[in-house]
Amino acid sequence: MNRVFITGMGVISAIGNSVAENQLGLLHGTCGITKGTRLSTRYSGLLPFGEIAANDEALKEILSVTDPGVTRTTLLALHACKEAIADAGLTGAQLLSPDTAFIGATTVGGMCLMDELYNDANNPANNSAFAPFYDCASVNMYLQKYYRLSGIVNTINTACSSSANAIMYGARLLRNGLANRVIVGGVDSLSRFTINGFNALHILSDEHCAPFDKDRKGLNLGEGAAFLVLEKEADTNGKKVYAALSGYCNSNDAYHPSSLSENGDGPFLAMNGALKMAGLGSTEIDFINAHGTGTENNDEVESRAMIRLFEEPPAFASTKSNTGHTLGASGAIEAVYSVLNLVNQEVYPALHFKEPILATRLTPVQVHTKKQVRHVMSNSFGFGGNCSSLIFSKAG
Amino acid sequence: MEATELKQQLKKQIITFLNLTSLEPDDIKDEDPLFGDGLGLDSIDSLELIVLLNREYGITIKDPKEGRKILVNINTMVDYIEKNRTK
Amino acid sequence: MFFIHQTSCISPQETFSNVKMDLLHVSVHNKLLAIEPAYTGVAVGVLRRMGKASRIGMGTAMRLIQEGAAPDGLIIGTANGGMEESIRFLKQIIEYHEDMLAPGSFVQSTANAIATQLSMLTKNKGYNITHVHKGLAFENAVIDTAMLLMENPGNTYLLGGVDEIASYNYIIEHTAGWYKKEYTSNQDLYKRNSAGTIAGEGAAMFLVNNKKEQAIAELTALTTLHSTDKELISGQLKAFLKKNVPSGESINLFLTGENGDARDADLVASCESAFGNETTVARFKHMCGEYPTASAFALWLACYLPIDQPLPEHMLKKQGTTNKNRTVLIYNYHKNVQHSFMLVTKFK
Repeated sequence: MNRVFITGMGVISAIGNSVAENQLGLLHGTCGITKGTRLSTRYSGLLPFGEIAANDEALKEILSVTDPGVTRTTLLALHACKEAIADAGLTGAQLLSPDTAFIGATTVGGMCLMDELYNDANNPANNSAFAPFYDCASVNMYLQKYYRLSGIVNTINTACSSSANAIMYGARLLRNGLANRVIVGGVDSLSRFTINGFNALHILSDEHCAPFDKDRKGLNLGEGAAFLVLEKEADTNGKKVYAALSGYCNSNDAYHPSSLSENGDGPFLAMNGALKMAGLGSTEIDFINAHGTGTENNDEVESRAMIRLFEEPPAFASTKSNTGHTLGASGAIEAVYSVLNLVNQEVYPALHFKEPILATRLTPVQVHTKKQVRHVMSNSFGFGGNCSSLIFSKAG
Repeated sequence: MEATELKQQLKKQIITFLNLTSLEPDDIKDEDPLFGDGLGLDSIDSLELIVLLNREYGITIKDPKEGRKILVNINTMVDYIEKNRTK
Repeated sequence: MFFIHQTSCISPQETFSNVKMDLLHVSVHNKLLAIEPAYTGVAVGVLRRMGKASRIGMGTAMRLIQEGAAPDGLIIGTANGGMEESIRFLKQIIEYHEDMLAPGSFVQSTANAIATQLSMLTKNKGYNITHVHKGLAFENAVIDTAMLLMENPGNTYLLGGVDEIASYNYIIEHTAGWYKKEYTSNQDLYKRNSAGTIAGEGAAMFLVNNKKEQAIAELTALTTLHSTDKELISGQLKAFLKKNVPSGESINLFLTGENGDARDADLVASCESAFGNETTVARFKHMCGEYPTASAFALWLACYLPIDQPLPEHMLKKQGTTNKNRTVLIYNYHKNVQHSFMLVTKFK
């Protein structure tokens, strides 16, 4: 059987700059969400954000990046990529080889430079260093050049499920013989653009987000990046292997541009499809890393879809209470967290939860627990009804 | 301003704001529901209408749920505007 | 890779309802704008929030969905989908100082708006994705579709490429030197010896599956690369031809994305030199303008052009000795860095 194995991981989020730091943060129930942001926005100090401590200059120094025009989004992606590539022990020759693919996801891309974009677009004489860097693809165009990649390179944007789809696409390149190793993941940085967009939709909470809580008030935006290296089982002889990606499915809710249908058809179909692909029964999932944004709509619909599929849903929690909602990065960050569940045989607590939603009465995991974890499901649902679920399994 | 005049003005503003370009003010009846089967608006439109009330009439609605009671039809909106407008 | 059964295209030329290949609409102010049809059968309420990319994407796709069977998934490539709406929302943020903003344009600003609006309109709950990798966004949609058909051989998918000229984007790219500084008509696009090209937009959609019967064409191979090295690129082309064209056979038509930018002349020439006298060389960017997913327009064109008829004069660069358009190789490049080769075999 040609399974897809995870052989390297890298992550940077509001709770840590590495996989090890993130694991400690999850273990201790660290909340990386604070009021205030270094962005110049009227919501700084008013709304909480999952911001990464290092500023752009610090990131450039850590990464030895001196090129002009490199955005924060790109820096965060490079940070996580470097960790994942070193962790998997990919060689320079492997990176250069046409059988290495790179699939990254982002929704903000260069839009973190909102004000520069506005100025450039209104002043044709500007010719600023940022001009080539405003779109989503600019992040991966930079990384392609940085690593001199010659295989398939792609950027995916399906809103909040973007990086789950990047992971799927990479795994499918392996299974269909179009690549022998893939670097997959996603990134998003905080931007006045997304802050104002979600605020205009009235779904930002002015308190810490409380996924699956009866009185949840909305989501907190965060920033971060995560990348994973995937390889075929046959190519991993003697290599360190974290886990297998055993199932995945992408479905659309086909209901509304910014909210999920009452019965959660999209989430149900995505979870069910991933289970079928993994060849698992619904009782075999030990833990679900839920999408759990903390909005009224998502958490109730996701609960309903979990009940539809599992009747008695397994243990679950949302790590967005630690990191905030990192949009295009969340699927990849939570993929890393799901793998940590498997590697360390433990589940991490959801924060800020008090009482279950009346209609669905589901209670997430609230304390760090050591337990047997064989299969973990990770959900990512985005605007436009783009729903994707991934299943990670113990490799052994 | 007379209520009928205000109604006409509001209808024009709704058409422009929500880009309902194929509609004329008279196509929107005062008592037709704005959402669901009537004009067919959705939850994003209700947020847009709250912004319209703010920009045109200086009315601030903090909780969108409160908005749903006001944004039933043209009559309920005009009623609320007359009582609460600050400009 | 897969068979193409139905196609649909909205472009700056007459490609949608009554296709007229010999007629060439002229560009205005270095832009070729897509001609929008009347969108019949779509509720006004649905149209009102859509930007142009969403509208032309929806228009081309709905025709295929209404005519054919419901596809099992929607795979869209777009580099700038949602850009115009992003700018609209950005303007609001600045003008209203981040206070009390209307969310409609934010919701429509995400690149996945085209694919997801389509799923809502047609109640399609299958696979739904948006590839945004600039000049290779459509090519990655092609790769995705080919993989889906390897995984689900009986299925049919809707594949498309869509982009619009976003006005702000135009200014930024113009400043960066990607468009010609002097006024240039698309009729003279290849005659100027200056840097830059003209802007374009459009949508092209395809219903594809694994069934050869009644197919218009087969997409037999695709390769992509990122490079600025013209030796490497033409080398890749030769390797691609060696791998995918049986010895003794040749390509009938080499359809290139030459766009009038004098800086790319050497690159295009070195790719053309890979072909002998039998191959006809033709161009398409004077019809659709330059945009990241213009290769979708080229694929539509390759499917549409009759096998046994001469090409429209305006497309022709060099008439080959083979008067056929049965095997077509499309070469497209975007901003010097992103390149793709798509090989098409036509049946009709």
